[in-house]
Amino acid sequence: MEMPEDMYSIDSIDELAFPTPAVAEIEAMPSQIEFVVMQLFDHYRHPLLRYALSLGISVHDAEEVTQEVFLALFRHLQLGRPRNNLRGWIFRVAHNLALKQRYANQSSRDRMDSGETIAEQQLDPSPSPEEHLSSAQRQRRLLAVVQALPEEDQNCLRLRAEGLRYREIASVLGMSLGSVSISLTRSIARLIRADGR
Amino acid sequence: MVSEDLHISDQELLQAADGELPTRRAGQVRAHLAACWGCRVRMADIEGSIADFVRGHRQTLESRLPSSDGPRALLRAHLKELAHDTKVHSWRWFPPLASATRIAALFVAVLTAALMGSVLVEHSILHGPHGNVASIESGTLPERNLTPGATRSVAISEVCSMPHEEVVREVPDSVRREVLREYRITDARPDDYEIDYLIAPGLGGAEDIHNLWPEPFDSERWNAHVKDALEERLHELVCSGNLDLSTAQHDIATDWIAAYKKYFHTDMPLSLHSYIGAATNGPNHNQA
Repeated sequence: MEMPEDMYSIDSIDELAFPTPAVAEIEAMPSQIEFVVMQLFDHYRHPLLRYALSLGISVHDAEEVTQEVFLALFRHLQLGRPRNNLRGWIFRVAHNLALKQRYANQSSRDRMDSGETIAEQQLDPSPSPEEHLSSAQRQRRLLAVVQALPEEDQNCLRLRAEGLRYREIASVLGMSLGSVSISLTRSIARLIRADGR
Repeated sequence: MVSEDLHISDQELLQAADGELPTRRAGQVRAHLAACWGCRVRMADIEGSIADFVRGHRQTLESRLPSSDGPRALLRAHLKELAHDTKVHSWRWFPPLASATRIAALFVAVLTAALMGSVLVEHSILHGPHGNVASIESGTLPERNLTPGATRSVAISEVCSMPHEEVVREVPDSVRREVLREYRITDARPDDYEIDYLIAPGLGGAEDIHNLWPEPFDSERWNAHVKDALEERLHELVCSGNLDLSTAQHDIATDWIAAYKKYFHTDMPLSLHSYIGAATNGPNHNQA
């Protein structure tokens, strides 16, 4: 079903996580909700997959989590539940589902399709003497430093890298705004030190 | 006022870069940066590390992402199934309330009811179902002998790894009929009552007849939406480590209205706000 372009603006969800009146007034008709959900899927699939993968689940599991997130979103909108901070809501559901999947994988020892996860892609944080600070090398080193951060700090950093504002990160991770700010500052300080800046 | 001698902390530099400072403070930081090379260098370091991290984060993961064609088609097919199902896929029977017209109508109706009968309605909540106005609110609290609440054995990690929206589920018809029979309701239409969990599944509540009661939809104030808000609040508090799961279960089972007042610090339900777009939606708001 084709919808008028001004019916719904993706950017309105990104912008400070507050909806425009247009978003708030979406009729609870399945066809309209379906349209909105597909738009959001196109917009957020990659960020959600990246975030889910960074939590240490397989590509297959991350894809399933993403599907579940958008089916839950459909039900959420259909039930007329609050549409403010939808991006935070989407990432929160993905976060919870991905962690649940990770717990299930850990308990069953049924690890990943390839056995390779981001968590297992530990990189050596110490550069070799001949390793110059090329861009790629620096990135590798920074990612290794991130792997060594407390998980909550990693999650803050990755959610911020996906564009979430502090308020949204707080809602996803159940933290206060102040804690998000402190966590990010701490992590960035570690990255700067590791980078020898 | 920011003195040029008082440098900006890394935390504020990052907040400034992220657009997270209040406007006035952001202006002060900009002014300081214009005057202070030292802080500008630190800001450049912050920006440089962020840029490197973001590039690395994306490049590492991007190469592993499969094409979206298949998943997109799959999602669309699932949504089509849901969209063609005339029944809302939920344990709720509540009709969607989303349009501005409906919201306005609801707002006016509730406001009118609140103005006309606030004292009596409050009385009915406190003193039980007596009289005409009191009957509006009857059923907002379950009968304790029939619905004392029941929990299942559940770990915190399980509760907190599942969003509230995911753990609530449709009550089977057979259970629904049993609950209505217990409450001696014989002529109910589906949209008269919601069969509600006293202790929500998201708080470890069991799908047990002792944990279910028929909650009328015509409750003007303390209705199912208000209770939903409480359930989500308690879930957030439990999962953020600010409340024991057992305390949450006890409080909501004992008197969910009292629990709402306690955890939202209010004598009036705030859920109406959610329909006019002012509800908060995160554990950092109105933290108990």
